[in-house]
Amino acid sequence: MANMRSSPLAHALATLHPEWIDVAGMPLAATLRDDHSGRSDKLGVCDLSGLPRVGVKGPGAAAWLAARGVPVPDQPNTWTLLEGGGVVARLARTEFLVEDGFGGRIAARLAPELKPGTTGVYPVPRQDCALALTGTVVNELLVQTCNVDFASQARDACIVTLTLMVGVSVTVLRQTFAGRDCWRLWCDGTSGPYLWETLTGIAAELGGGPVGLKSAFPDARFQNLQ
Amino acid sequence: MSSRLPPVTGEWIDRSRGLDFTFDGKAYRGWVGDTPASALWAAGVHVLGRSFKYHRPRGVLSMANHDVNTMMQTGARLNLRADVEPLEAAMALTSVNTAGGASGDRLRFLNALGGFLPVGFYYKAFHRPKALFPFWERVFRRMTGLGTLDFNAPHIRTPKRYDFCDVLVVGAGPSGLHAALAAGRAGAKVVLVDENARIGGSLGYQRGGSVEGLEMLRDLERDLAELPNVSVRAATLAAGYYADHWIPLVDAKRMTKLRARAVICAGGVFEQPAVFRNNDVPGVMLASAAQRLLYRYAVKPMDKAVVLTANADGYRAALDLMAHGVAIAAVADLRAEGEPSALTMRVKQVGIPVLKGHCVLEAEAVDDRLVAATLCPVSAEGRPDTASPQKFACDGLLMSVGWAPAAALLYQAGASMRYDAGVHQFVPERLPEGVFACGRVNGVYTLDSKCEDGERAGTEAARLLGFDVPARNFSVAAERVAPSHPWPIVDHPAGKNFVDFDEDLHLRDFHNAAQEGFDNIELLKRYTTVGMGPSQGKHSNMNAIRILARIRGKSPGEVGTTTARPFFHPVPMSHLAGRGFNVHRETPLHGRHDGLGAVWMQAGVWLRPEYYGQPGKRKADIVREEARAVRESVGIIDVGTLGKMELYGPDAGAFLERVYTAKFAGMKPGTTRYAVMLDESGVVIDDGVVARLADQHFYFTTTTTGSTTVYRELQRWNAQWNLEVGIVNATGAFAAMNLAGPKARAVLRKLTTLDLSNEAFPYLALREADVAGVPARLMRVGFVGELGYEIHVPADRAGHLWDALMDAGGEYAIRPFGVEAQRLLRLEKGHIIIGQDTDGLTQPDEAGLEWAVKMDKAFFVGQRSVDIVRKRGPRQKLVGFELDAIGASTAPRECHLVVRNGAIAGRVTSIAWSDTLGKHVGLAFVAPDMTEVGSPFFIRADGGTMVQARVVPTPFYDAEGLRQKVVD
Repeated sequence: MANMRSSPLAHALATLHPEWIDVAGMPLAATLRDDHSGRSDKLGVCDLSGLPRVGVKGPGAAAWLAARGVPVPDQPNTWTLLEGGGVVARLARTEFLVEDGFGGRIAARLAPELKPGTTGVYPVPRQDCALALTGTVVNELLVQTCNVDFASQARDACIVTLTLMVGVSVTVLRQTFAGRDCWRLWCDGTSGPYLWETLTGIAAELGGGPVGLKSAFPDARFQNLQ
Repeated sequence: MSSRLPPVTGEWIDRSRGLDFTFDGKAYRGWVGDTPASALWAAGVHVLGRSFKYHRPRGVLSMANHDVNTMMQTGARLNLRADVEPLEAAMALTSVNTAGGASGDRLRFLNALGGFLPVGFYYKAFHRPKALFPFWERVFRRMTGLGTLDFNAPHIRTPKRYDFCDVLVVGAGPSGLHAALAAGRAGAKVVLVDENARIGGSLGYQRGGSVEGLEMLRDLERDLAELPNVSVRAATLAAGYYADHWIPLVDAKRMTKLRARAVICAGGVFEQPAVFRNNDVPGVMLASAAQRLLYRYAVKPMDKAVVLTANADGYRAALDLMAHGVAIAAVADLRAEGEPSALTMRVKQVGIPVLKGHCVLEAEAVDDRLVAATLCPVSAEGRPDTASPQKFACDGLLMSVGWAPAAALLYQAGASMRYDAGVHQFVPERLPEGVFACGRVNGVYTLDSKCEDGERAGTEAARLLGFDVPARNFSVAAERVAPSHPWPIVDHPAGKNFVDFDEDLHLRDFHNAAQEGFDNIELLKRYTTVGMGPSQGKHSNMNAIRILARIRGKSPGEVGTTTARPFFHPVPMSHLAGRGFNVHRETPLHGRHDGLGAVWMQAGVWLRPEYYGQPGKRKADIVREEARAVRESVGIIDVGTLGKMELYGPDAGAFLERVYTAKFAGMKPGTTRYAVMLDESGVVIDDGVVARLADQHFYFTTTTTGSTTVYRELQRWNAQWNLEVGIVNATGAFAAMNLAGPKARAVLRKLTTLDLSNEAFPYLALREADVAGVPARLMRVGFVGELGYEIHVPADRAGHLWDALMDAGGEYAIRPFGVEAQRLLRLEKGHIIIGQDTDGLTQPDEAGLEWAVKMDKAFFVGQRSVDIVRKRGPRQKLVGFELDAIGASTAPRECHLVVRNGAIAGRVTSIAWSDTLGKHVGLAFVAPDMTEVGSPFFIRADGGTMVQARVVPTPFYDAEGLRQKVVD
């Protein structure tokens, strides 16, 4: 059923006069009325919650992923790139998050295979609020909201940080996503509206704000996302 | 007449930009770069404020951020520190703690009553008769306090931020600058902070008539500018030290929480006043204050001065004053031997008389301004020889008798300090790893030594952090002459020789305190309040220690110091508050509820609809309507806030057996079971419903507020038990809604092909099926006492399902209901809410949960405690009660006490009016011997009204449970 899914931010985005685009059955904002030119270059906050995503944990999780051709990060708190621009994040020794990029279908393919019943391989339902933070002053937003020194993280170290941001548990990593250097954030969907409201509020003070997909990722191809 | 000097090299003021302002209603003009105090002093205003207790006139003391008697107010800005805060255009400054302004303060008569107002007089004088205490309290509250709070002041946004560096250097004087340079040149990312508007510290103002220090400062600034890895932040205060080198940096706009890998404390020292009679009159000031006025603000501090000194700095100050046209009447040196350096000769060469072994006996004021100082010989022990006093006419008196280390950060970091008699100062003895000290706080005063010490600290910090710096031997020479005098204190029979200017404490107050037994430094502090004013003892603690040491015949080191807690300097409340985050969670249906007029309430971190508002209707009526819809037709409530856990693995059943009191091993897939969780002491901490989806797969709920704690506990337990299970907190991943009421089945039947008949889907069963095309888990539960389906679906599909259920229910006038209606409905069924009908001590038997506790199991958490408590018997029991007919206004409320024979015998945990039952019903804890059905008891309601209740059995409604088990 088309558009049966809703983003955790659907209610918040609806007030921003969006033009919607379907991402894996979930309407996301392609454009926003006040998303003026250049906002995403300075500081943009973009909703990516619709991207296909699976979570798996358990002592057999790494082997299960590897057996399906997923590039498993060697170390906890690191990530690897997934074909099509997605990520495989190792959140702990035995827990993983797999998310497709705009051009990928791996998480979507894994999801139906991941059923309860295999000892040591346990599905983790992922209903995240997923964000991308773009722009030149994104670090100022990060230092106002989180006590982790993201600026010092070497890009090639592919670090995954699990921490608190404005009181919300978040997973953070830096990625070139759809051709753009950005910080990716995931949090529980029920904390998403609060995190969104807080981040976009601070971003507005810094000359940025909420942005749509087309503004944040102008080089991305969206036609195959449905 | 203006005391503004012609341009002075290195001055901070910008003479091209004037600023008009008023003080106590009179107009003045200053320059950008001025402070209110410097601009007023330049304008010839010398009474800048009044003292706290005696309302004595006060002027400039330090110009170093502890002139607390000259705090001012402008608009909504309270307690602006006039000695350091930048002057701004159109400021309308008023003095605080006065009646009628600083110069005409009507409360100045209190100075004449000083003899009747010793330390602690209010403790002793005004508590009897007790009836008059409120009167005196009002009087004192009116008379005391600093500034007037404006409750309509606009909210100032002061967002906090975090920052990170390798080396933080606190203090940008000569040693701090050298430390920052050394660490920066080693490659470290350095942050250098200084609370002053500009960096340089003493290099800028303690010149001794020379420009050598100023030139050094220019060179250092140039060197620093070449290092992009060094961030210099003036007007920034390092306000405290927290573990792991977290330092709050406070500037005018915000607080920055900075995490450093190493911290160098180069904060210097605070100049200390001498104690003599009338040492507070306007015109008496620290020598460094006069030098700051001269060199920062180009203000001539006085026309003719006496300099009281006990170190080389006083001589330098005399030379600085001379260089700018101030006549020096005399230099009085407390030391019998005088100053051994060449400074003595330089001073004498310009015609200044030097009186060795002399003190100031008293200062004399006329019309609130210093007019003379009386000097006399003083013995090595500090006793003045009053036989041959000499009076010197002067309008300024400089005090340069010693220093106290600005070591608060070091104390907070855990440094141990010792009293060094060589410099008569506390210095670091042992520093924690990653913490360094240099410069005057380290007891190093000579300029070359300060530079060397700073370079040492910067180099050592960089080496500790692994930067490639060649090892080098630093030799920091010990001071040959102590820069502080061990006893800069002169007693006087007429008193008014102030030790603490914040609190108007004079020498006699300390003797009185000791005489009354408060002769430990911490007790002395609390009794006299020394160091407890806004300057936090920066100019008073060291003298207080010296006084107590002499009283007790000990050394200052043996007396010790008081505890310096962060923040060591007052910080605006707006900075502490910061942005003000309000963390909350919203279910995926939040937007739907908004559209339906939800009135929100906070449930833990969640926002939940309390009820759905309707124009013109009262809350109580709406809640009753919502409840009635559930009883008579169908209602729907968002229960997505419940904690939801997935449990997988071969040991899943065994795991649940251990964490819950019920049995799960034999539970069949497709069934649910009520579950109670205890802690190790047997206290009820949570409850929920456990559903078995498959042999190795359970799904269970927790209370709304308990999910995070329960998940953490489950992980903790399994870390010990090491069972083969996977635990997933799926609280946010699933939405949940409870469709309840006699028409619930009819509504649901429209949206699913699942067989909903009582035989196929009985009460307490679990089924998985598509509902409105959404894969769902359905549980037949009866929390509200009607036929009900709790439907759990992936969160991203919740909106779709809600809409479908509302559409399907339209035929039956389906009504969303909120938390208030749910509370009423469950109360009618006698169902308890953990945390409301239980507390942090409630055992399961006390809450009527005996039936859910299976003691014949091998083990569950809290089992042993329950066994012990059962042998002892319960302290209380939860019972149902009802009230006889009573008006709503006199009905008891939750937490009202159950009273028997005048003693507390329990409390009401839940109570509500039930339309369905036509009476008030409730739950209450009562004594175990009060539980017999039908027995009356009394509840003490508002205003002390005693309301009679009777114990009745629960459930109050549908005792047989037929409605929730309803057959088609």
